[in-house]
Amino acid sequence: MQEKIGVYICHCGSNIAATVDVERVAKEAGGWDQVAVARDYKYMCSDPGQELIKKDIRELGLSRVVVAACSPRMHEPTFRRALEQAGINGYLLEMANIREQCSWISMDDHASTAKAISLTRAAVRRVVHHRPIHEREVPVNNATMVVGGGISGIQAALQIAQAGYPVYLIEREPSIGGHMAKFDKTFPTMDCAACILTPKMVSVNQDPNIKLLTCSEVVHVDGYVGNFKVKVKKRPRYVEEHLCTGCGDCESACILKGKILSEFDMGLSKRSAAYIPFPQAVPLKAVIDAKNCLMLTKGKCSKACAKACQREAINFSQQEEVIDLEVGSIILATGYDLFDPTQGPQWGYGTYDNVLTGLQFERMTNASGPTQGKILMKDGREPRRVAIMHCIGSRDENYHKHCSRVCCMSSVKFAHLVKEKLDAEVYEFYIDMRTFGKQYEEFYNRVQEEGVNFIRGKAAEVTEIDGQLTVRAEDTLLGAYREIPVDMVILNTALVPRHDTDKVSQIFGVSRSADGFFLESHIKLDPVTTTTDGIHLAGCCQSPKDIPDSVAQGSAAAAQSLAVIATGKVKISPITASIDQEFCAGCKMCIGGCPFKAITFNEDAKVSTVNQAVCKGCGTCGAICPSGAIAIAHFSDQQIFAQIEGVCSQ
Amino acid sequence: MAATGQLKPNQFLLEVAGMPGGERITACIQCGTCSGSCPTSYRMDYTPRKLLTMVRAGLKERVLQSEAIWLCASCYSCSVRCPRGVVITDLMYALKNLAIQQGFVPKKAVAYNFYSSFNRVVEDVGRLNERRLITRFALKTDPAKLIKFAPLGLKLLVRGRLAVFPPSLKNKKEFKRMIARGKGGGGK
Repeated sequence: MQEKIGVYICHCGSNIAATVDVERVAKEAGGWDQVAVARDYKYMCSDPGQELIKKDIRELGLSRVVVAACSPRMHEPTFRRALEQAGINGYLLEMANIREQCSWISMDDHASTAKAISLTRAAVRRVVHHRPIHEREVPVNNATMVVGGGISGIQAALQIAQAGYPVYLIEREPSIGGHMAKFDKTFPTMDCAACILTPKMVSVNQDPNIKLLTCSEVVHVDGYVGNFKVKVKKRPRYVEEHLCTGCGDCESACILKGKILSEFDMGLSKRSAAYIPFPQAVPLKAVIDAKNCLMLTKGKCSKACAKACQREAINFSQQEEVIDLEVGSIILATGYDLFDPTQGPQWGYGTYDNVLTGLQFERMTNASGPTQGKILMKDGREPRRVAIMHCIGSRDENYHKHCSRVCCMSSVKFAHLVKEKLDAEVYEFYIDMRTFGKQYEEFYNRVQEEGVNFIRGKAAEVTEIDGQLTVRAEDTLLGAYREIPVDMVILNTALVPRHDTDKVSQIFGVSRSADGFFLESHIKLDPVTTTTDGIHLAGCCQSPKDIPDSVAQGSAAAAQSLAVIATGKVKISPITASIDQEFCAGCKMCIGGCPFKAITFNEDAKVSTVNQAVCKGCGTCGAICPSGAIAIAHFSDQQIFAQIEGVCSQ
Repeated sequence: MAATGQLKPNQFLLEVAGMPGGERITACIQCGTCSGSCPTSYRMDYTPRKLLTMVRAGLKERVLQSEAIWLCASCYSCSVRCPRGVVITDLMYALKNLAIQQGFVPKKAVAYNFYSSFNRVVEDVGRLNERRLITRFALKTDPAKLIKFAPLGLKLLVRGRLAVFPPSLKNKKEFKRMIARGKGGGGK
């Protein structure tokens, strides 16, 4: 059958036209078999550009359209929509990528034009074999699962709950709150972290739309956007949550009281084996540390905690449980780890007393921390000279190349806190001062005026000279090497991907960027969604962020999830695989090859079948099938071969 | 209106960047980790970080005449710690080579003459001869040093720590051929 094909060559301003002779491409295309019209235009994606296509479809009766422009990832949906608006099926379109795969990668005009012609010809040959196919809609589960109960996860959960939809908030630790709960004051306004965080934590607990699961981890995710099936492993708390009042009697009674390093205080204080994570914990319930509890490790203990508990809430026989959830969308807000400074022995962490990490300092200055907010050296004296070191593990090819983004501001904050509490000299060693946020530069200026010594130069090492802790660095603005004696060193360590990011990325089927954090769909225009539909990102699991940005992304992820949920249905791409039952030999090889678990075996007919809602149309099964029984819609052999012939022919 | 005048490429930077050690010179972020880690930077006229930015500024004479490049003790602390992967120690060698090749080293420069005397003695004798090294070094730089070192030399002699007739290499001819070959001067 003779088709009427319209071919449209986009200039993309000068993006394409600067290296590709677009007029020549259009002229060549005009002479090809079945091509009814070929035009070039400044911006095909603009309204007038789309109108050009629509007009030709209506007036010339085009039956197929080829657009040679940017990557189909950018504008394929735009042009499909234009075709639909003009009355023909959107899949009767083929795009030739003459920007990313042609004009952008060569400075040779001649070669680029030749390649553009070749790619356009391939698209023309292929489009002849396109068939109308239709997107399907499937119903959506209106619940969302938020993974991680730090500030961004909390924000996302609250926002969705506020809109009236159910949320499961999954937290690995016994309490939500994340890193922020450990902080003292927050820049740039210096309001206390707990004062602004705990109201949100309490709201999570009180919101009837939020189901909070602590001590829990997601172990398996199945399904697809709108219909995820999730398995959550809940570790035993050994305390009955519905009975515990959070009174702390068990904590006082525990015979290991004061023996176990507190994770919450970053090892600066000691706790019991039965304990309440911190005074504002949500849920405010005790938990028994299975790694240290004598009863749980050795089976022998006087069980002082159980005796002390008036509510009889302690239950050593609690077992791990696996909870099945069904949700329509997922928000990953799994946060970050802090860089371990023992990796660089030159910084002296672990070698010298009084070399602290930033988070340890946060605990120390926190009024509810191990020293009740007093800044003290190991021997109990107040330091007179404090060094604060930026970029420990960040911006460093030996460790992590990325800038951790928050350390400049938190370092300035540390300097302010020292100045506020002590009569001490503060030396801050920085490479570049990055105080980019709203009111940040003003805060930096304020701390400068407080008399902090800002030294432009990365601290090279911390050493002891005649028993005196000393920082060695170059003051680069002076151009001189300096040795500065100090009493205390604060290492502002990098924000790095969670140690188990790889495992989590496999469970959820999301990718990671080169820095190890989760990969967003588009670094600028879509920083919240992932390439897996229905799974969104919030907070530091995507990249290091301060609190304002984490909160903003939490809300943004909530909006993305609500967009999935609110319509009640989701469109599924029609590009899926199907199995011709007549040819299927029942070998099941496709089932093993499918990365989305979309193929099942029909025992009665002894053939495999594809679940169209789960299939992503990746084509793996089609390549595996030994009997050639599997066809992928929109990627038929005929279409592909025609495209290859188009590239190869002159 | 467009700016006028021809842009001149920074020949010195191109020259250094093309030498071993110079590859990542444009990656430097001027953090000063090198100078802070350096055991001799406190004695340098320009710190290693500053030398690096001077190369990028094309200050050829000042860089190649600087004392700093001769003070590098080759401890490699800077190279190990550099957050941008610049091998500063090797860069220092590159600058030393350029300074020698292009005649920027003063005739009586101490560090240069010590290195060259050391090499010369080893090449002549086949092993290090301290007496000849010090004599040569002093004659090249400041003959008064001979008098200054004399009491120490006598003391060492008395203790038998300085040989009057130090042993030489047995097969010197073979050794010289080896050296010549190493220098790319042929030899079988």
